[in-house]
Amino acid sequence: MEFDVAYLTAQWPALMRGLWLTVQVSALSIVLSIVVGVLGAAARVLQVPVLDKLIVGYVEFIRNTPLLAQLFFIFYGLPGLGLRLSLFWSGVLCLTVWAGAYQIENVRGGLETVGKGLREAAFSLGLSPWRYFRLVAAPMAIRVGLPSMLNTSISLLKNSSYLQAIGLAELTYVAIDRISMDFRTIEMFAAICVIYLVLVLFLSFLASRLEYRLNTPFRT
Amino acid sequence: MDLLIRNLPFILQGLAMTLGLALATLFFATIISFVLGTLATLHFGWLRVLVKIYVELFRDIPLIVNIFFVFFVAPLFGLELSPFAAVTVGLSVWGSANGIEIVRGGFNAVPKHQWQSAAALGLKTWEIYLFITGPQALRAILPPFVGLLTLLVQATSLGALVGVNEFFKVGQIIVERTTMMEGWNPAFTVYAAVLLTYFVICSTLTWFGRWLERRLKRDRPQARPGAVTVAQPAAQLP
Repeated sequence: MEFDVAYLTAQWPALMRGLWLTVQVSALSIVLSIVVGVLGAAARVLQVPVLDKLIVGYVEFIRNTPLLAQLFFIFYGLPGLGLRLSLFWSGVLCLTVWAGAYQIENVRGGLETVGKGLREAAFSLGLSPWRYFRLVAAPMAIRVGLPSMLNTSISLLKNSSYLQAIGLAELTYVAIDRISMDFRTIEMFAAICVIYLVLVLFLSFLASRLEYRLNTPFRT
Repeated sequence: MDLLIRNLPFILQGLAMTLGLALATLFFATIISFVLGTLATLHFGWLRVLVKIYVELFRDIPLIVNIFFVFFVAPLFGLELSPFAAVTVGLSVWGSANGIEIVRGGFNAVPKHQWQSAAALGLKTWEIYLFITGPQALRAILPPFVGLLTLLVQATSLGALVGVNEFFKVGQIIVERTTMMEGWNPAFTVYAAVLLTYFVICSTLTWFGRWLERRLKRDRPQARPGAVTVAQPAAQLP
C-alpha cells in the first residue's frame, strides 16, 4: 500500500472540477445566507409584528434539526409540493436556509450591542427605520458580529460536503466516487483533507485580516 | 399515518440506534475532551501544540470526510470496523475536538488567583485540579456540553451515509420501500416527520442546556466587588 503520486496527478483535473463546484455552491450560499441573516435580524430587532415570532421559530427549528435531514427534505420532499429544483439549486437553498438561521443570530448578536439610546436618538432625529439600520446600527453591529458570521461561513464551506449525499458532484463526491472505482483510498483522502484544510485556513486568515481592518479606527 | 403504524417497530429500532450512537459518542468524546482539554491547560508547551493540532485538524476537516475516512481507511490497516463502530469513532474524534475547546475554556474561566492561592497553600497539582479549579470549571463546561450533545444527536444522522440503520436511515428506507412497493412517493411526509422528531429531541436538549446554564449561574456565590467576572465561552458551531 504505497502512496501513488502519479494516480493523484491523473485524477487532479476531476478533483479540481469538484473543488470548483464546492466553491461555487459555498460562495453563493454564503452571500445569500448573509442577506437572510441581515434581513432576519433587522426584522427581529425592529420587532416587526408576527414576522419576528416566525423568525424565532425558523432559527430554533434549523438549529435543532440535522442538516442532512433538511437537505433530504428539500431535495426529495419538496417535489411533493410541486417544487422541483436542480441538484445545484437544492444545495444552495439548503445551505442558505441552514446558514441563514445562524447568521440571523450572529447579526442580531451584533445589533444588540447597539444601545437603545442610540436607537431612540436616531428615531427622534427623524431617521426612518431603514436609514437608522443602514447608517447607525449596521456599521457598529458588523464589527461585533463579524467574527461569528465568518465562522458560520467557514462552517458552511465545510458543510457543503453534505451535498454529496444527494449526488452533487462536489469535492467529496468526486473523491468517494473515485475511491469506489479505483480503491486508491489513502491518496484521495489525503488530497481532499489537504484541500479542505487549505480552504478553511485560507478563509480563517482572510477573516482575521478583515477583522483587523474593520477595527482600525478603534485601535490605539 | 398508516405508514407510521405499519413501520412502528422499525422506526423505534432506528430511534434506539440513534440514541445508542449518540450516547456511545458522548461517552468517548467526553473522556477524550476532559483528558486532552485538561492536559492543554498544563504548562507544557509541546503538549499544548499537539492538542491544538488535533483540535484544528478535526474541526477544519468536514465531518463527513472524517467519517468516510474512518470507514474506508480502517480496513486498509486490517481493522474491520462495523459501520456503527466507524461512525462512533468518527463522531467521537470530531466531538472531542469541540469538547476540548469547551473544557479548556472552562478552566481558563476560573480566576487565576484560585490556582495561585491553592498552590500557595501547598496543594499538589492534581489536588488543585480535582478539588479547586475542576469543580469551578465544571460550571462553565456543563451547559456548552449539553449543546455539544445536541450537535452529536444531529450528527448521528450521518451514520445513514455509511449504512448504520439509525433513525434517519430508517426514514430513507421507508421512502424507498413505499415508492418501490406501492408506487407512490411519501418523501414529503416522511422527511417532514423525521425533521419534526429530531426537532423535538434536540430542542428538549437545548432547553435543558439553557435551564442548566441559568441554574448554575443562579447558584454561583455572589461575586465580590472588584472580582473578575469572566464571560462564558460561547458554544462553537459545528
